[in-house]
Amino acid sequence: MICAGIDAGSRTIKVVLLEAESLEVLAAGAMDQGVEQEALALELLERLLKGGGIERARVRAIVATGYGRKLIRVADAMITEITCQAWGVHHRVPGAQTIIEIGGQDSKLLRLSADGSVADFAMNDRCAAGTGRFLEVLAARLGVRLARLGDMAGQSRKPAIISSMCIVFAETEIIGLLASGTLPEDIVAGVQASIATRVAAMAGRNLSSPVVFTGGVAMVPGMDAALEAALGKPVTVAPQPQLTGALGAAILAARRLKGLKTPAL
Amino acid sequence: MSNPLPRITLDQWDRRYAELRDAGLREPFYGGPLRRHVEEGDRRLLKLRMDGSAAALRLWNFLLTEEDRLHRARAEGKKIVGAMKDLGTVPVMAFSLPDVVAFYPDGAWWTPCMMESGDGLLRIADGLGIDESFCPVRAMLGAFVNRAHFPIPGLLTCSVGATCDDLSAIAQRLEDLAGPILWWEMPHRRRAEPGEDAVLLPGGFTAPAGQVALVRSELGRVREALEAYAAEPLSDERLAAGIRRANRVRRLLAELRRLAFTADRCPVPALEMLIAEMLAIHFCSDRQESAEVLQELLGEVKRRVEAGAGVLPADAVRVFWVNPVADLRVMNLLEDVGGRVCGTEYMFCHALDPIPEDLPPMEALARIALADPMVGSPADRAERICADARRFGAQAVVISRIPGASHCALEGAVIKEIVAERIGLCVVEVEVPPITDAIEPTLRTRLEALVESVSQ
Repeated sequence: MICAGIDAGSRTIKVVLLEAESLEVLAAGAMDQGVEQEALALELLERLLKGGGIERARVRAIVATGYGRKLIRVADAMITEITCQAWGVHHRVPGAQTIIEIGGQDSKLLRLSADGSVADFAMNDRCAAGTGRFLEVLAARLGVRLARLGDMAGQSRKPAIISSMCIVFAETEIIGLLASGTLPEDIVAGVQASIATRVAAMAGRNLSSPVVFTGGVAMVPGMDAALEAALGKPVTVAPQPQLTGALGAAILAARRLKGLKTPAL
Repeated sequence: MSNPLPRITLDQWDRRYAELRDAGLREPFYGGPLRRHVEEGDRRLLKLRMDGSAAALRLWNFLLTEEDRLHRARAEGKKIVGAMKDLGTVPVMAFSLPDVVAFYPDGAWWTPCMMESGDGLLRIADGLGIDESFCPVRAMLGAFVNRAHFPIPGLLTCSVGATCDDLSAIAQRLEDLAGPILWWEMPHRRRAEPGEDAVLLPGGFTAPAGQVALVRSELGRVREALEAYAAEPLSDERLAAGIRRANRVRRLLAELRRLAFTADRCPVPALEMLIAEMLAIHFCSDRQESAEVLQELLGEVKRRVEAGAGVLPADAVRVFWVNPVADLRVMNLLEDVGGRVCGTEYMFCHALDPIPEDLPPMEALARIALADPMVGSPADRAERICADARRFGAQAVVISRIPGASHCALEGAVIKEIVAERIGLCVVEVEVPPITDAIEPTLRTRLEALVESVSQ
């Protein structure tokens, strides 16, 4: 039996196909989000099935998660990304105590119990200044690809100080810094530090290790180092961090198939 | 076990009202179908799901006719006192005088929500330089300017000091618009230091005797102002009688809360409980009728509890809710995602405690005023939240922030940390603006995740 997890995030859709008994990942992929979320999710699902030579009928349970989960009507259950991230990361890094997930439009901090269940969580409010959107704005302003930001930050000798709490005003600051001759590398490092500081503020005190960093932004080189500096703790990047939400959804789909308790609504 | 009694929409209430009438429903003078309030501008009702009982109908009609009641009081020559900020003390004093009615003009903060901003109150406040960086209470300024919501009170009082900065700033702006305000000082409550006498306050907080004396003295000035305005002496006997009547309302609410929060099946929705609890502070401008409304609601809840009936599934997650919401719809949302409210701290838990009847009245009022959770440290407040959450068997806590309300800036974080440490419950903070439609998905995710965290 095969299960699918669909993570309809704000910037990308991710799908993971899982063998229900062994929890072996059979296929996984991601594509850009759009207006027709369910159609896009099904397109990605079909592509993965075809690529893996798997018949659609073998997919016995689907759990949707993420911002657009309510739009994935093909799903058997919808579970929040908070719960799914916990399951996905716990599966990949069983000892994880704290999860920091930074996605395209929001950031989250999860504290896990010993069994991997969510003990507590927090999410950013209102502003995208602590999210991947900030990096996208930065990359666009500097005219570089997102993937280059890590290298650039690594070359910084004096990270710029980004003081604004708001992404809109922060962009104005970036323009001002560029106009004043600040090196782009220093601006990139400053923005990464700014995002990390905002997430660290959300974490507050009493953060338990190991800390696992996941979500799409965890793939941006240099962000893990920025987080470590802000938290004063080592940070482990989850394997395939963009997919942990979809993986958790697929695991919860497998549990449903087995008749085990899940928090699905 | 029977299926949950449905919470019904306004459309369903139209039919329900006809059924109740056919069954012989007897209503007070302010009764009638809820639909008329929408026609008068309270459009948010169209987005709410409400309890379907006659008792709830009476509660909603009582709430939504307060303006009519105030205008009628003015027409009848009654004196109208506008009490601001103190949350529950000045109205007890005002209602102790004959032909005096008190209300909270700051209660207008819910008007933009109920009227879905069709009232224009916030725009007027913007024009006065009190923009959205301030607490939604700024809607009060608009209500004073357009005079479309309540008659201008003959006496305005406002507590200041260890109270909300925003409200003080807004009330100061009001003084230019509505005439003089009697400002009375509320000190920041602290614990007695060595050498100071400590006084135990209702609810369990303590304060130095000197602080109680200061508040007593300040309330003495309020008393004099009330006497001068009403041209009647506000004797200790009158105050004592007023306290007893206020306590009747508080006792009804205490029993209602006990039943609503501890019953196996949730017997009354969070929305109606929120409105009912608010009666403790403002009586909706009619103290006697408040008691009657609560009595009927309590009767309905008792019947449901005895019958094992509830408005939500039996496995709903028990959530303790901190702070009132600017958008009432969020109380529905919690229930829609599988939660039920089991315990509340809407910033005025002191107004739910009985006022001591075995003390001189002014001493009793000073103590209850100083027991206000908002005039002490957030840690004190968190302690009480922990105690009440334990008492009601809560499984999780929601701290609802109000955008622009300065007293919430760090308080939520402090409460969250203490509650998580002391009682180990999952705590989530949410920010609730007056209209949440645009952020409903993110709010829903937070509340769903909270429910999932408990259910996992």
